[in-house]
Amino acid sequence: MTISMREAFAETMLMTGRIDPNLVVLVGDISHGILQPFADENPSRYFNIGICEPATVSIAAGLSKVGLVPVVHTIAPFLIERSFEQIKLDFGYQQLGVNLISVGSTFDYAQLGCSHHCYSDASLIAHLPGSRVFIPGSNQEFISLFDQAYRDPVINYFRLTENPHAVDLSEYSIEIGKAINVRHGLDLTLVTTGSMLGPVSEAADILEGENISTEVIHYPTFKPFDAESLVRSLEKTRHLVVIEELSSSDGLFNRALAASFGLLDAAPRQLAIEGFIHGYGSVKDLREDAGLSVELIVQASKETINK
Amino acid sequence: MVDNRDLRLRIAQMVKDSGEGHIPSSFSIVDVIEVLYQSYVRSDPANPESSTRDFFILSKGHGASALYAVLEKHGFITSMDISRYSKIGGILGGHPDSTRVPGAEASTGSLGHGFPMSVGIALGLKIQERENRVYCLVGDGECQEGTIWEAANIASNRSLGNLTTIVDWNGSAAQLMPVDDLPGKWRAFGWDVREVDGHDIQSISGALDGSLDINRQKPLCIIAHTIKGKGVSFIEGHGRWHHRVPNPAEWSAIEKELA
Repeated sequence: MTISMREAFAETMLMTGRIDPNLVVLVGDISHGILQPFADENPSRYFNIGICEPATVSIAAGLSKVGLVPVVHTIAPFLIERSFEQIKLDFGYQQLGVNLISVGSTFDYAQLGCSHHCYSDASLIAHLPGSRVFIPGSNQEFISLFDQAYRDPVINYFRLTENPHAVDLSEYSIEIGKAINVRHGLDLTLVTTGSMLGPVSEAADILEGENISTEVIHYPTFKPFDAESLVRSLEKTRHLVVIEELSSSDGLFNRALAASFGLLDAAPRQLAIEGFIHGYGSVKDLREDAGLSVELIVQASKETINK
Repeated sequence: MVDNRDLRLRIAQMVKDSGEGHIPSSFSIVDVIEVLYQSYVRSDPANPESSTRDFFILSKGHGASALYAVLEKHGFITSMDISRYSKIGGILGGHPDSTRVPGAEASTGSLGHGFPMSVGIALGLKIQERENRVYCLVGDGECQEGTIWEAANIASNRSLGNLTTIVDWNGSAAQLMPVDDLPGKWRAFGWDVREVDGHDIQSISGALDGSLDINRQKPLCIIAHTIKGKGVSFIEGHGRWHHRVPNPAEWSAIEKELA
């Protein structure tokens, strides 16, 4: 049976808590039901702390100060955007470690409106020196990256999604800072991250059907950015489209652009979120509103290679 | 006659020599910090990271020069460190950097950070079943920050009896928000509250003795009635001295009053 990424997170806390007595989980009145097994086994190391995200982040810094390994988990805009200065100063400036694990990024809560959307979290955290940003698109990616990263005394941000892609990555090793070359091609490179691997793979299928040989590179790690994998790809394809459910300012595109100097035969394209999304609906509806539908990926790809 | 004249002179000298610092805010808190390091904070300057140490967090980081003067007196930092205050190559500046200053447990400056972090330290020590104590000093102006009350709420709900917070109530906050019943607010958040004269050693010690009770369940809040700039007549109060550097004539007058 397939479990949600949030359930995979709860299961990971349970398993990690059994082998690491320093793991402490703080949640902002969310996911407390599925975290109950961890809470039952570790009553002194689990806190549904309250609806007070900035103080919760600073409290986690105090836990880290005495040698514990904190996880702070709540909804993305409250965890990152509301609490940003606490993260910057209390962990970044003081060189303390934390695992920030959000749900509800981008417009996962599509029916709840703008207050629950969050597009700038990845780039905000990426601005902090020494930080790492993970955008897993599947349970396998999250579990593997968390296990490798969580003990390190840095800011680790894990951006969970309620809409994981269905692409089978079981043959790949998921490593911090390593992109995955999901599909090999010669005409065009599509770069993406997180749950968007799903629509991007669908678009690649359509492009292949029209005899456009399409390479897909997936980035479970947003920062540090794996430039090498992209360079290898662009040396073959020389065409780039970046698709990301992130703010168009300082997203994956900017990192890809910096790596692609001298390697492109045409202007690269970015499909990303340009403005506030005011509407409601399904995630698919809002992706279409934001210009991130399969059809628009196909269209932008063809325009990039002039077909 | 005011106590700790040597520490006050050291603070003013730091500010004079570097051209940076908050003398009145530091004079407001220096008596409390000195009492803490003299009698309550168990910490070894030869091993400031000891796992058995008590923690002192200066949440109102702009009073840093008071902390530095006390840390120098108790052997955590040197006169050479003080001589480089706010200068290139030095470890001391207008707000403390915990990654550089032995004995400075938190990097503060932006208000509303050190206090919630101290709540986290106290919570962590409780999880680890350790008996270290945690002391945190906040300003009354800082108590206008939301994170103070978020964290105060958490501390009482988590029964953090190992945490003592001293509020430097020098009247700064009331200049902006005159409705300022700090004892009532901290009580309403579930804290055990005591009020002291923040410049009277016996008064401060009497309240801090309450922090030694290892069976304490409620966190302790000590509201210290203080005077901004206490100890030098023309610096006392609110106004132009908040961030002012003494000129040669003013320095002579400071030396004379603190002699």
